[in-house]
Parts: sequence; structure tokens; C-alpha cells
Amino acid sequence: MSKLAPVDVAVVGAGLGGAAFCKRLSERAPHLRIVCLERGDWLGPQNMPAHRKDWQSAILGAWAASPNARLIAGEPSLSADYPIDDSDSPIKPLMWNGVGGSTINWAAHFPRLHPSDFKTKTLDGLGDDWPFTYFDLEPYYDRNDVEMGVAGLAGDPAYPPKPPRPMPPLPLGRAGATAARGFDSFGWHWWPVDAAINSVVYDGRAACNNCGPCLLGCPPRAKSSADVTHWPKALRAGVELRTNCVTQQIVVQGGRAVGVIYRDAEGREYEQPASFVVVACNGIGTARLLMASHIATDPALPLGRNLMFHPCAYARGMFKEELDGPRGPVGCSIYSHEFYETDLSRGFARGVQLQATRENALLLQALRLEPRWGREAHRLLREEFRHSVPMLVMVEDLPEAHNRVALTDEIESDGLPGVKIEYTLSEDSRKRLDFGLDRAEEVLRAAGAHRVVRVPLAPLTGWHLLGTARMGDDPKTSVTDARGRCHAVPNLIVADGSLFPTVGAVNPGSTIGALALKIADDLAGEVGRG
Amino acid sequence: MKPEFLSAVVDTLLPGDDALPTGTNAGVTAKLVEHLSSTATRDRDAYLAVLHAIAEKAGGEDVFALADEATRIAVIETVEKEMAGAFRSLTSLLLADYYEADSVLIAMGWRVEPPQPQGHSLPS
Repeated sequence: MSKLAPVDVAVVGAGLGGAAFCKRLSERAPHLRIVCLERGDWLGPQNMPAHRKDWQSAILGAWAASPNARLIAGEPSLSADYPIDDSDSPIKPLMWNGVGGSTINWAAHFPRLHPSDFKTKTLDGLGDDWPFTYFDLEPYYDRNDVEMGVAGLAGDPAYPPKPPRPMPPLPLGRAGATAARGFDSFGWHWWPVDAAINSVVYDGRAACNNCGPCLLGCPPRAKSSADVTHWPKALRAGVELRTNCVTQQIVVQGGRAVGVIYRDAEGREYEQPASFVVVACNGIGTARLLMASHIATDPALPLGRNLMFHPCAYARGMFKEELDGPRGPVGCSIYSHEFYETDLSRGFARGVQLQATRENALLLQALRLEPRWGREAHRLLREEFRHSVPMLVMVEDLPEAHNRVALTDEIESDGLPGVKIEYTLSEDSRKRLDFGLDRAEEVLRAAGAHRVVRVPLAPLTGWHLLGTARMGDDPKTSVTDARGRCHAVPNLIVADGSLFPTVGAVNPGSTIGALALKIADDLAGEVGRG
Repeated sequence: MKPEFLSAVVDTLLPGDDALPTGTNAGVTAKLVEHLSSTATRDRDAYLAVLHAIAEKAGGEDVFALADEATRIAVIETVEKEMAGAFRSLTSLLLADYYEADSVLIAMGWRVEPPQPQGHSLPS
């Protein structure tokens, strides 16, 4: 094993958390030598299938959202995946492993948490309070919105006032306008989503041309992903990004991290000494690496525990009139936070987000029909295609210690221990989903749907991998402090969604980016400007 | 496997309607022959197992190919129940080839060009 020259900061993972952290720290403390190690590679527009005739079936192989599905498909993928035993979870983990992380194939819906999400224990006696408030994070939300490029509309009454959005909102389309009609009929809140997608040319990147399949990457670079937003600037600021490098271990001596050991694409091992080590590999990868490095593995400690997704269900309304079908950014249209805050008369605390999305490609719509074949399948698809509005029901998940990431006894081909997840949908999450489905169906029928189909729990929605290295003030009940510093190893920092003590009922990307900026500022404040 | 048998299987699964072409007319049977003849085809063994099971249940490839639609559907439904995973793999393959065929996209009122580079227009 070769020992490399020391650096100031070694960052593991080049997804949104790692990218935002590196860019911000390199700006605030330009004297620092920062190296980021990424297990995957860069992805160019030429690697994306949206300009190919067989683009629809790419989602069944190299562009499946699930790393397990990509591995099983056996097609060459630019995502450097590792298998995850998800047999004990009704929700399957989804991610991308490469520069940009899961922003490569995300839908780029970019809401913030609500202020109440930071104090669920105080307000509702559930979960845990974050070690800071919404308003402590607000400047970083604002900054990250500008970094990412957010299309939206200021003035949403569900939130404290936000600055003008960097870009005007994406078009609602016929489907969005139809859903809005349904919400209006009840006087319920709805608002155009904040989307990390260019509605106009922004930061040198093109405007979205409504091509549809955001989950297959974005060849025009209109969708914000960390490889095109933060990384070019971080690299110009002097951050070194080493791709195809799989970190094997965080080296700890005398209670301090002294560097990392990683393996390059040729299988050579290196020791990279560093004064600080930052881990941003998502709620599964971060826990896996910390556990493999024997950090905070006392079973009484919460590392790997409290895994949270956002359980999701769908109601799909069928309409007589022609709608958009798979046109426009697939995840972004309008949302409603009418039922976001606690109202105990519903039979549960915490809340639900309803989100009118756009439709999937024709093939994906065909593949989920029952029956899948025969004349009835043709009839159902012809009824649905270009005539449907999907309403996503996303609910808050609360921390439960038995929901967890654990290591297996296997060693995988990437050199790290195998990993499994154990997750049970809670009774309260089920109540939230059922309540949300009822409201979604009411909205769709009020908008004119003649038939509504429900999916009570959508398994392939496990994008949000959260809570497994939670922040907190108490070293017995949290893995890190409010600055992302591991209680057990103070110069080991976590900078991703693993930190979330609770998760609200909205997508976490905006909060992950903001949190990474805050953590970078905290470190910059400590090390000074050199 | 005989082309008539494969065509009968494909067209039972993808019968088409007044606008949609049959699977065979959309080119799915020809592609299935290519998939089955390539050792590189993932799940090839599973596809072959399902097709062999259909032939066996029917009493032979020719019997299946000459049977009426109701009989063919009944045979396939039996195999679907007995070999759910492999059957689902086969239908995924056939549906992908079908719904990416130009004639099917046009029949569904969609365009044949991929999403990029031209994208779509969308009312604001």
C-alpha cells in the first residue's frame, strides 16, 4: 500500500453533500488542500439514453433506479454499485453511485423542510428535535438555491417567506392545471413546486425542453445535478476529485481520524493521510463505511439505526380529456401542503405531502398494469396513456431504532463488507398513507377523474436514505453533534442525509445541500482562512 | 422453436386491437427469435423454460399455434401461475420490444423520435 502526501481534508463521496461541502469549503478556506474520493465516475451527456431509440427500456437495465436491479441486469453501468440486501424492507433503496450521486437520476423536486420539522419532539412528542432550527439553516437554504438553480414561485404560504426564486416556475402543463382545479374545489393549498431544473437559461446551462425522463439523466444539463452545479466550481477552486476510488476504511488512531485507505480502479491501495475526514456516501453508504471502520459500533449507539425513507403511495386519476402524458419533468408539477402539519383529529401526528407529478414513459406505464398482457392490457393502457394524472402521497417517517442498516458477513467485490437493510413500515406511516390516498382520490375525482387507481405502497421509491448517523447533543443517542462531527471521533465529519434526526414529509435534497454548506462553514470557521 | 408457435405466443400476449398492431406485426416475434438465438441474452434460459412449458401444456407447439384464442389464453394463464417470475421476465422483454416499436408508438398517438434533442412543448 502506498502512503500519499497528507492533505487537509479527505472527503468520501461526490454526491450532493460532498460536492456542496467541497465547493463551500474551498471558497471559505482556499488555503486548504481538499481531496474527494468517489467510487464512481463522471457521466457525460453522451452516456445518457434520452437521445436513443431504446431509451424507454434503459430504465430496465443500466438506468434502473435500483442499484440491485442494475447489478442483476448485468449491463455495463456507469454507476459503481454494490449490492444491498433489501429483502427485509418493503421499500427498496434507490441511488446512483458516481460523480453527482443520486442527483444524476433524481427528479429534482426541491422543497425545504418546514420549521416544525426541526422540533417534532417539542411540538408532538415524537422523534427528536434537530440541534438547530429552520432559521439557523435558512441562509444556507437560500445560498444553495442559488448554487443549484431553482425554478419556483415565491410567496408559498406553507413556508416562511423565501427570497424570489432564482428562476420562474416550470410550466404546470395540462396535468398540473387539472390537479390544481381539484385542489381549488376544496379550497386546499397548492403551489408550483420548487424544482432544481432550469426554466430559463441559468448559470450557463440550458433551459429544460420538457423532454420528460429526468431519471435517465439530463443531456442538456437543464436539470441541476451536483456534477454540473457544484463540481465544476469546486474543481476550479482547487479541490482534487479522484474518481473510481473506493474508500475501504477510515483510519483512526488515538481517537482521531488520521486519513483513509482507498482502492483505485486497478485495485491498488493507497493510504491518504488527512487532518479531517468527511463522509458523504448517503444513509446506507456512510453507515456502511463507518461500521466497516469500527467507528461508533457499540450496539447501544445509534449508528446505522433509525433508517428513514419517505413512504410513498400513488393515486392515479383517469380523465376523458387529453393530458400531457410523459411530457415535462417527471417529478415536478404542483404540491399541496394542506395536510403537512399535525392535526390530531386525523388520528395521527405529523403529516403528508400530496404532489401531482407527470407521467412515465409508455413502456413503464404498460409494465405496471394488471393484467399485463392480452386485450384488457391494451384497453387499460389506451384509457390511461395521455389521459392520467398521478398524485404522489409522500408521508413523514419517524425514527425507529429497529429500522437499520447493518453489515453482513460477506465481503463484496468492492472490498467492503456486504450491507443489508431492515425496515418495517410503522402503523402511523400506514395511517398517513391511507389518509393521503383518500385526499388524493378526492382531489382527482373533483378534478374530473372518472376512475382512480391506488398503489397503497410504492416499493421503488426508496430514494431518501436518511437518519443513520443522526445529529444531536447527546453522544448516547446521536452519532454526531450539530456540526456533523462524530462524537467518538471529533475530526470525522458526516455531511449527508444520514445526519437527519427527522425527515419531514418532503424530498431531502434541498436540506442535504444546505446542511453540507453549513457544515463546511463550521469547519472553515474553525480552521480560518490560512 | 417453430416461428408459428412463437408468433402464436406473442400474439396471444400482444393481440393488438383496432389501432394497435399485433406483436408479430410490430416485429416482436422476429426480435424474440434473435433474443433466443443469442447466448448473450440475459434470462434466456428462463424465457426458453416458459416457452417450453407453454408448448408442453398445450400438447405441442403445433397444437398451441392452431388452437383458438381462448384455449391459448388458458394455457398461458396456467404457465403464468406456475412460473410467475420467469413469465414476468418474458413479458417484460416482449413489452419492451413492443412499446418501443415505431408502429406501436404511432398507434398510441406518440412520436417515434426519442425525448432528446427536441423535447416537447408544454402549456404553461
